[in-house]
Amino acid sequence: MTVPTDKELSEHWRNEPAPLLPLLHAFHDRDGYLSDEAIDHVSQALKIPIAELYGTVTFYHHLSRREPGSHAPQGVAAPRVCMGPICSLRGGPAILEALKSEGATAMPCAGRCDEPVPVLRGAEVFVGMTPESSQARSSPMPPPNPDGVEECVFAAIREPGRAGIDGYRKTCGYEGLERAVAVSPDDVTEIISESQLAGRGGAGFPTGRKWKAVAEASGEPKTVVCNADEGEPGCFKDRAILDYDPHGLIEGMAIAAYASGATRGFIYLRYEYPETMNILERAIGEAEAAGYLGESILGKDFDFRIYLRRGAGAYICGEEGSLLNSLEGKHPFPRNRPPYPVTHGYENLPTVVNNVETLASVPHILRRGAEWYRGLGQNGHAGTKLISLSGDIRRPGNYEVPIGLPLQTLLHDWAGGPSDGRSIRAVTMAGLSGGFLAGDDLDVTLDEPSIRSVGSMLGAGGIMVFDDSRDMIAVAHAAMEFFAEESCGKCFPCRIGTQRLTERLAGGGQGQGPTDLTEWIDEVTDIGQTMKATSACGLGMAAPLITESLMRCFPRLVAEHVKS
Amino acid sequence: MIMKSSTAVAKMTLDGEEVGFTPGETVYEVAERHRREIPTLCYDPRLEPFGGCRLCVVELEGARAPVASCTTKAEPGMVIRTRTDAIDAHRRTLLELVASENRENDVDPLRGYASQELATLLDRYDARTGRFAGSHSGRTRDDDDNPFILRDYDLCISCYRCVRVCAEQQGDYAISIKNRGFATEITTEFSGLLRGSACVFCGQCVQTCPTGALADRKALANAEVPGKIEKTRTICPYCGVGCSVDVMTKGERVVGVQPAMDGPANEGALCVKGQFAFDFVHHHERLVKPWVRGEDGRLREASWDEALDRAAQGFLKAVAEHGRYSVYGIASGRAPHEAAYTMQKFIRMGFGTNQIDNCSRA
Ligand SMILES: Cc1cc2nc3c(=O)[nH]c(=O)nc-3n(C[C@H](O)[C@H](O)[C@H](O)COP(=O)(O)O)c2cc1C
Ligand code: SF4
Ligand code: SF4
Ligand code: SF4
Ligand code: FES
Repeated sequence: MTVPTDKELSEHWRNEPAPLLPLLHAFHDRDGYLSDEAIDHVSQALKIPIAELYGTVTFYHHLSRREPGSHAPQGVAAPRVCMGPICSLRGGPAILEALKSEGATAMPCAGRCDEPVPVLRGAEVFVGMTPESSQARSSPMPPPNPDGVEECVFAAIREPGRAGIDGYRKTCGYEGLERAVAVSPDDVTEIISESQLAGRGGAGFPTGRKWKAVAEASGEPKTVVCNADEGEPGCFKDRAILDYDPHGLIEGMAIAAYASGATRGFIYLRYEYPETMNILERAIGEAEAAGYLGESILGKDFDFRIYLRRGAGAYICGEEGSLLNSLEGKHPFPRNRPPYPVTHGYENLPTVVNNVETLASVPHILRRGAEWYRGLGQNGHAGTKLISLSGDIRRPGNYEVPIGLPLQTLLHDWAGGPSDGRSIRAVTMAGLSGGFLAGDDLDVTLDEPSIRSVGSMLGAGGIMVFDDSRDMIAVAHAAMEFFAEESCGKCFPCRIGTQRLTERLAGGGQGQGPTDLTEWIDEVTDIGQTMKATSACGLGMAAPLITESLMRCFPRLVAEHVKS
Repeated sequence: MIMKSSTAVAKMTLDGEEVGFTPGETVYEVAERHRREIPTLCYDPRLEPFGGCRLCVVELEGARAPVASCTTKAEPGMVIRTRTDAIDAHRRTLLELVASENRENDVDPLRGYASQELATLLDRYDARTGRFAGSHSGRTRDDDDNPFILRDYDLCISCYRCVRVCAEQQGDYAISIKNRGFATEITTEFSGLLRGSACVFCGQCVQTCPTGALADRKALANAEVPGKIEKTRTICPYCGVGCSVDVMTKGERVVGVQPAMDGPANEGALCVKGQFAFDFVHHHERLVKPWVRGEDGRLREASWDEALDRAAQGFLKAVAEHGRYSVYGIASGRAPHEAAYTMQKFIRMGFGTNQIDNCSRA
């Protein structure tokens, strides 16, 4: 195989849309790291000032600046080992230690909590709880629920061959798009609005309203961005859709494009899903060949193309403003809002940003109707939600629950409860962003109003379970450390606050802060309240839910921690 | 200003008072125009609003959380409260947090124009409590020994005003933001020295830095000179742009130069000469007495009369032998304006030629 030259790489990418990340990845894949010369070359090819590009490169933790050691095969970056909340309890530290000689580094939750511990090696993910058992494997299929409760997104995902276009079409694939283009764009948006589908990426904004705003906004070309960054620890539900139902997402994006008037689309995929990248590339190719993407789709005056872009190891790039800056090749700080992406999105033009799950629900809704979708919820709630369940639970995995299902039903009836002789001490909500629930709070139902009433949120739907053998202070410390590492550094409350809270949760003599309990609580509470009230984006607003819920659920543990 | 508000049609409520505004103004601009003292650290009116420090948050009726007034556009019907107990408490917590990340918060005002901003706010909000102790952020670049800019990043609070002024005002993009979160640093390309970067040492980053983390080394060399700093507004003599500067003196001694933020030609900008090249004034090698060359070709001290006679003879000889156009005057950019004026008068009137120029024609 011939190694491409710098010039060949930059010539290939420089006139493509959103070229910075793929070009950096191309150099990184070729050399195993980003050399000064590579950064210099990219700076000139894309006309990005060199200092700015250098700074931006250091923002992304997967972009290594160190030449891989002699142990590594030519052009392969050092392995990265998941040290997320679940994997660090399931053998992550031992694996990291064992791979130190290969230059391995830790990475935050890599979205394989249902099958720990993922190790990222080049374009492959290995899993296993010991260094010896580690092997490359495709991700687990979502388990069916035991009650036979009707699903939407997962309804056909277990059909064999669903990931290929033939299998997809055999299971009613692209019928939703056909129905969509048979009516007007406004009618499509109306159906989505009636279904009460809301954003499944965390914020819960009504999807129909978002599409309508883009359709009505002036400026062209318009864009649909699929947010597949899935960086929230304990969340791996988008991965299941992308791996086993990629055409479901493509069809959803095409429908969103038709409804909003967009002609170009991006999928922003998190770096830690390399196999998913190949699956999506193939599916996009198949859809183009079959005429579901490209020009005059289904014989209509409707053009739409999808470009696949890969993140580079930054949780904040899941925040939509940061994601758009990242796509545009800018320093990936979140943007000030308003204006919102619906009017000032990609390249400052009207843009739909939707989560994978949101978009993958759309074809089913078009095919079966708004009323059907609304009816899938329980207790007056509309629709379904994917929950990524992991940790100290018998059957971890992705479950599609009716919105409004009692949490206890999911934990015990669907997923088998904790292992014998153990009880559940706490669960996290919204991955880590909703903090902890424990005790009576576990009687919530899985819908935003119920979960918000106990000071948390459902968010993207990651739930991690910790049984009574777990040290909750250590779990909280690791969680806060995650937010501190991922804080982008734009705003003061989050940049300094996540650091100070991490220091106050550290154990083993590493801690800083008051040793008097009242003073400790005062400091931690004041920092938390100011972060919640003044942070510039959701990361800084959510992080203090960790300390807030810790103090609420485990006051005795907190008192002991401060004393020691 | 008065024009602006009288033509305004849109109205909003500011601390219970109905006020007018021009569409496009931010809440901060409206509030400032109405003499509210909203604290800021990442704000520089010349730059795009950034929204990083969050000190400028105000209450907006109907919003879930306070909003940053610097990035929020004023809209008709908005109800804004710029000071409430809750807002004040947040501002104080933010200031205590910022104070906790620095080696020190009180610095010599010679460091830079904005260097006192943080210390002033700490006093105003009674935020010198020592709470939130923990590790410090930023790392001073002792290795950067350029003669102009001290990079004392132990005092950096990551407001990015330096980076933004370099990009937006100077157009130089010499510095940027490295890493993220608490590990954020201000960097040049590949973490090198300013000398090896695109930096042209205009000093604008120094003058906008609100903590003195970036400091004027030339001025700071005079930190020990006794006396109070006085500022005298004048025009930079180096070239024809006409940048307004404040010359700082302590007693009889020039100790530094700062750009005038309201200078019509420069709005706070200077170039390396106007900013840093003032130390010739008290330089020990500066000529303070006339010298003439003796028969032996060596220089010796002389009286003014002797020196002027010698110069006049030389000029007259040249004109007598080669005509008046053999004389060409070039005034020094380091001379005061009065001297420059006299010089051109002397050349034009004395020799009858227009051959007069200045060394710093820009
Ligand atoms: C720190 C942070 C991280 C986020 N990460 C993701 C993510 O990985 N995937 C996602 O879809 N949305 C994420 N979001 C939410 C997005 O900003 C945005 O609301 C969402 O993509 C909109 O799509 P939806 O309306 O379909 O949910 C994140 C938000 C924040 C504040
Ligand atoms: S809250 Fe945190 S992640 Fe969000 S903008 Fe502020 S520093 Fe960045
Ligand atoms: S001195 Fe001027 S050019 Fe150099 S970094 Fe500062 S602002 Fe940029
Ligand atoms: S060096 Fe000064 S201006 Fe630059 S980010 Fe730090 S504190 Fe702000
Ligand atoms: S002045 Fe508004 S956030 Fe700093």
